[in-house]
Amino acid sequence: MDTKRFAVSVVFAIAALTLPLWAGDQYQLHLATLIAAYWVLIGGLNLVIGYSGQLSIGHVGLLSIGAYAFAILAGKAGVHPALAVAGAGALCGFAGLVLGLPSLRLPGFYFAMATMAVSLIVGEFVLAQGELTGGGIGLAVPGFPAPFDTPAGFYYLVAAAAAVVTWLTWNVARRMQGRGLIAIRDSVVTAQAVGVPVFRAKLVAFLFSGVAAGVGGALFASLQSYITPDTFHFELSMFFFVCIIIGGRGSILGPFIGVVVLTALPELVSPLAKLGNFFYGLLLLLVVLVVPEGIGRLFEVLAERLRPRKLESVPVRPDLPRLARAIREGR
Amino acid sequence: MLFVIVSGLATGALFAATALVYNVMFSTSKVLSVTTGHIPMLGGVFGAYAISGLGLPWWLGLFTGVAVGALFGWLTDVVAIRRVLARSDEHLWLLSTLAVATMIQQAVGLWWGTEPRPFPRLIPQDFTAGLADQKFWLPVALAVVMAVGLELFYSRTMYGKLFVAMSEDAFAARARGVSTDRIRVASYVLAGALGGLTGFAAGQLTFAYFALGMTLTLNGFIALAVGGLGSNTGALIGGFALGLLNTFASYFFGGEYQQTIAVGLLMVVLLVRPEGLLGSRNVRPV
Repeated sequence: MDTKRFAVSVVFAIAALTLPLWAGDQYQLHLATLIAAYWVLIGGLNLVIGYSGQLSIGHVGLLSIGAYAFAILAGKAGVHPALAVAGAGALCGFAGLVLGLPSLRLPGFYFAMATMAVSLIVGEFVLAQGELTGGGIGLAVPGFPAPFDTPAGFYYLVAAAAAVVTWLTWNVARRMQGRGLIAIRDSVVTAQAVGVPVFRAKLVAFLFSGVAAGVGGALFASLQSYITPDTFHFELSMFFFVCIIIGGRGSILGPFIGVVVLTALPELVSPLAKLGNFFYGLLLLLVVLVVPEGIGRLFEVLAERLRPRKLESVPVRPDLPRLARAIREGR
Repeated sequence: MLFVIVSGLATGALFAATALVYNVMFSTSKVLSVTTGHIPMLGGVFGAYAISGLGLPWWLGLFTGVAVGALFGWLTDVVAIRRVLARSDEHLWLLSTLAVATMIQQAVGLWWGTEPRPFPRLIPQDFTAGLADQKFWLPVALAVVMAVGLELFYSRTMYGKLFVAMSEDAFAARARGVSTDRIRVASYVLAGALGGLTGFAAGQLTFAYFALGMTLTLNGFIALAVGGLGSNTGALIGGFALGLLNTFASYFFGGEYQQTIAVGLLMVVLLVRPEGLLGSRNVRPV
């Protein structure tokens, strides 16, 4: 790793570690925790959308399964929160498997519609199973025991989970699996031809994103401390999706910048909060039309445009004397 | 029981009409636009706005709904399709139409309000009409007329034949001197007008509601995938089957599991016959 990148990561790590000390107020700390909780989900989803190119627009369904599983296990059944998080992750991994087995065989638009339908189905189930989930009224979610019961403590817990997810996705992305996923995204036929197990690779990535969504959902629910079906509206799904697309597909840093900016921006600029989804849609459209590579690569693309690479000219100089000699000798 | 069947047919007709709109756009551009369901939503909302809000007669309301739909269809092509199709990345159109769909839904939500508002009566009729109520037979009649009209359009008119030529092989059509770009724009405007008409005719069934779009996009697509992509008859069959299944499921199991059953139908059909009931089997592109 080059020194510049290393220095940036160290500065970022120190900033993240000391954030509770310099954060202006409790609300900013809450926002930082929220970003970290989102990132647990988006980090996993990034492997599905950013690397293998499967456009899942219904991950909010998995998030809400994780959140409700945590709330029911830790709140109603009285399981220890750490175990409940593991349970939520396992359940969501299973849900991801069940969803992925049929739907990952489908082509792009079919898959997007199937995932969207699942997010609607989960909403229906939550409303229908009122005895378990509290229906439209919602459910209170317990917090974590000490030392994670203060805002700062909880921030460290969520940030640690986010770091673990980042580390895992980074490991996948730079090794064989990640290369295989990128090959699937760029050309399924080529990937098949060079021996990438297409369906299995997609399924594993989707399963991982399911587990991440479950853990993220559990942490998210605990942070919100009260969840209703309205917490998991479809806009949230759009938000995850837009974060990854505008950050840039095939990178980890890009989506991370995306989630930080998109979470913080509506809080800082209040008119944007009112526009909400319109703003996400506009951003998505602009990115797709202007920089399909994502904002994370904006500078590279701009540099390429402004300073086009000079094509090396390789002039062909025929060896004239030798040619003349060959003609003279009648060959 | 009869009531369940009739209301199922009416909802099914709405889904079928949406599937037809999908087909019109798909035939020329091979794009399944996420905005499809939002066109009927616009037709319904603007129809209700023109009649109830501005106090115009029903035929001007109809004109408004259709015109706004057509305008939106044109806009979709200009903003989300034209530049994206020039690139070859097959996922980009999904993203760009999703972006346009999100923007239009939010914009209508901000302007019109997020509550469903009633759609005015089009034909003077008593509210006790029951099964003969216009909110049931208007969509059914429209879906059938639309399917028949599209078939006639495709088989009898020059423009229709150009659509068919483009849907079979766009490159060959272009080589034969068809202005494929212009035909594609025409198909989007036509789809927009038909979608606006659908939303207007089904307005009393769905109410003028901003969030109708995503539901219709999904259910219309399920109807289309069940019936077979590209087939108008298939779209009708798929739509009516889905609508009947939906209402029967709510009648027997309660209304909570509508979406689950619709997607279940889709999954079963896709597993048994991936190309849909009347679709043609796709050749695997290499």
